[in-house]
Amino acid sequence: MNIQPNDILAKAESLRNSLSTGFRDEIVKSLYTEAENIAKRAVKTATDKKYDFDQRIDRLVTSPYAGLPIMLGLLGIIIWLTVSGANVVSAAIATVLFSVGDFGRGLFNQIGMPWWITGFIWDGVYLGLAWVVSVMLPPMMIFFPAFTFLEDLGYLPRVAFNLDWMFKKTGAHGKQSLTMAMGFGCNAAGVIATRVIDSPRERLIAILTNNFVPCNGRFPTLIMLATIFVAASFPPALTSFIAAGTVVGVVLIGIAFTFLMSWILSRTVLKGEASAFTLELPPYRRPNISRILYTSIIDRTIFVLWRAMQTAAPAGAIIWVLANIHIGDSNLARAIADWLNPFGLLLGLDGVILLAYIIAIPANEIVVPTMMMVYMGAGMMVNGPSSNNEIFNLLVNGNGWTMLTAINLMLFALLHNPCATTIMTIYKETKSLKWATLSVVMTLGTAFVVTFLTASIARLLGWV
Amino acid sequence: MNTTFWYLLVSALLIWIFLPRVGLLAMYKTYRAAQEREQVEDALKHLLDREQQGRQTSPESLAGTLNLQRGRIVQLIEDMEAQGLIESRGVNLSLTTEGERWAMHVVRAHRLWERYLTDEARMPLEKIHNEAHRREHLMTEAQLNEMDAALGHPIRDPHGDPIPTRAGTLPKEEGMPLTAWQATGPARIVHLEDEPTLAFEQILAAGLRLGQTIRILDKNPQRYLLTDGEIEYRLAPAVAANVSVVALPESEVAKASSIPLAELSYDQKAEIVILDDAVQGFTRRRFLDLGLTPGTVIFPELKNFFGDPRAYRVRGTLIALRKDQAAQIWVRPV
Repeated sequence: MNIQPNDILAKAESLRNSLSTGFRDEIVKSLYTEAENIAKRAVKTATDKKYDFDQRIDRLVTSPYAGLPIMLGLLGIIIWLTVSGANVVSAAIATVLFSVGDFGRGLFNQIGMPWWITGFIWDGVYLGLAWVVSVMLPPMMIFFPAFTFLEDLGYLPRVAFNLDWMFKKTGAHGKQSLTMAMGFGCNAAGVIATRVIDSPRERLIAILTNNFVPCNGRFPTLIMLATIFVAASFPPALTSFIAAGTVVGVVLIGIAFTFLMSWILSRTVLKGEASAFTLELPPYRRPNISRILYTSIIDRTIFVLWRAMQTAAPAGAIIWVLANIHIGDSNLARAIADWLNPFGLLLGLDGVILLAYIIAIPANEIVVPTMMMVYMGAGMMVNGPSSNNEIFNLLVNGNGWTMLTAINLMLFALLHNPCATTIMTIYKETKSLKWATLSVVMTLGTAFVVTFLTASIARLLGWV
Repeated sequence: MNTTFWYLLVSALLIWIFLPRVGLLAMYKTYRAAQEREQVEDALKHLLDREQQGRQTSPESLAGTLNLQRGRIVQLIEDMEAQGLIESRGVNLSLTTEGERWAMHVVRAHRLWERYLTDEARMPLEKIHNEAHRREHLMTEAQLNEMDAALGHPIRDPHGDPIPTRAGTLPKEEGMPLTAWQATGPARIVHLEDEPTLAFEQILAAGLRLGQTIRILDKNPQRYLLTDGEIEYRLAPAVAANVSVVALPESEVAKASSIPLAELSYDQKAEIVILDDAVQGFTRRRFLDLGLTPGTVIFPELKNFFGDPRAYRVRGTLIALRKDQAAQIWVRPV
């Protein structure tokens, strides 16, 4: 007997037509029946107390009255925890890392290194790294465990359930809310998280709009502005609440833009109907603390931090070079900032801000120190004056800032292009230069249009 | 200096134009070749279609379908005859064996693409014909086989038309036009003819869809009155002729006594009867993966405060479905 592979294929081909159309359903059904039989033999079910409890919680967190407030409340609490907790830790880490920098600089000076090697390494590369670590690490160490806690608890799918109606209206997928929540930690991580969305069209929408959720790296800018320009007129005891409240407000604007852009995308380049939506709502589980710590610290924080450090080091070097090449009595950074100034003013910003954002494409954390460096004419990134009043003084009286500059900078920080890591991640996830480019053009375009409009309106109405 | 610049510019331009394969001229040639092949393939498809309807094809009808000038059509027919794809018998054209093989290949490509666009890309039904028409050309046999396997060897396209097999054979059409349907019992829609587009749009606008079970309530020369048990549909006889039906199999009659899951009231337990035939590919696999198989007990447990989606308890887990998905799962309250 000699059977050729082709005979078998031909036989299969001829038998295929005689299959009933529902034979796949029958196969799956028999698999489930088998599994059920096994489960019946092996699993004993006790009384369903837990089930009732779960049901009651579900009724509460998805109810018309409590559902939305609970969601917003949790978001507010997490942001407030991140904002107020990170400040303290940040300062401590900065002190340690900067003193290491001072020590290294001293050592290099002692052994007689040329000034430019010392400067390049310690005031450029090392300072860039130290800055990113001290600014980025603390909020992540608070945000990621809190996020992972909610995830482990089983609450996050309920958020997707609550908000799906809005996403459906914009042609997107309810699970996009989960990737947005992840985006608060890091947009690159948020882009990777879109893998949970199984339809390609909706996943692309989630990827392209993830950047409208401000990540941890952009929080410091928002917090500084919120503290100095908004919260300053409130009693000191309230400062952190007002600052967190302002940041929440900015976040809500970002969410509004996410919906708007999703809607526009699903009517233009990603045309299509809202498609299959299936979402499992797992039972609530007691969070496993050690797993939360492991996932949030090792998988998320260290992972994100490592990627940020890879881009921060070269950025630090470039900043140092720009600040230390002198043209006449100013430096290259100042010269570029002056050249960018007219365009910056048009957007209600200024040249220094635009320069800081160009340099900060690798890592948004260094926007504020770079701005301070140029404003103060320093040769390396600096923290700026120590008190909020002095910073206010430096910006408003020294460099012509107005309330419009502060507001537009917040909007720009919210809407501008993704950082280099996120762009790379978008490229890796979509395997397409086209989508990576669109993600930059779309966000940057939005940022330009919005800031230009607010600046024009404010000027037209004579507010500034 | 200036002369050198112009010299360089002109030679760069010339190189760009005449470079083999990537140059402008080569690109134009490739484009023209592709366009010609598209016209050949469209002509073959038209001929096959006419032959299956038992009608003759003349150069005029071909020119009308392809929307081409008379001169171009004559040229095209000559080319195709030279390639041994068609032969003229008097004024009429007919396919050679080779021509029929190729035509079948294009039909297969078109219907596989329609299946793909509906199941995997999930494009709306009224958009898939044009998109598939755009993509059906320039496909190789191997690509089609791969696509066929990836889609799970589908038998019919989303309109209910049979997909030619790898060997290039076409199963016989089983349905009959609604206008020829005489029985009073329920019938299942097995095919919605998508050409002419105007009639197809009217069918869709009326709300009829593939796999739906209908009964004829009344018919007269002005209109057909149909019902699916709840809603009444009105069609002009000319449009009704584009809807093909078959008698309902015994098992399918069960669906008549069931309701869509989306209409089930809260905490009302029900048994899944069947997944709608219109759900195929990705969505169907997803449903089956989640354990939404016929015979499973399910009930709506949780409501979103906007009313959509709802979460259903099935096999001990809670699964949220949007209204449009839940409308495709048929259940019987228990």
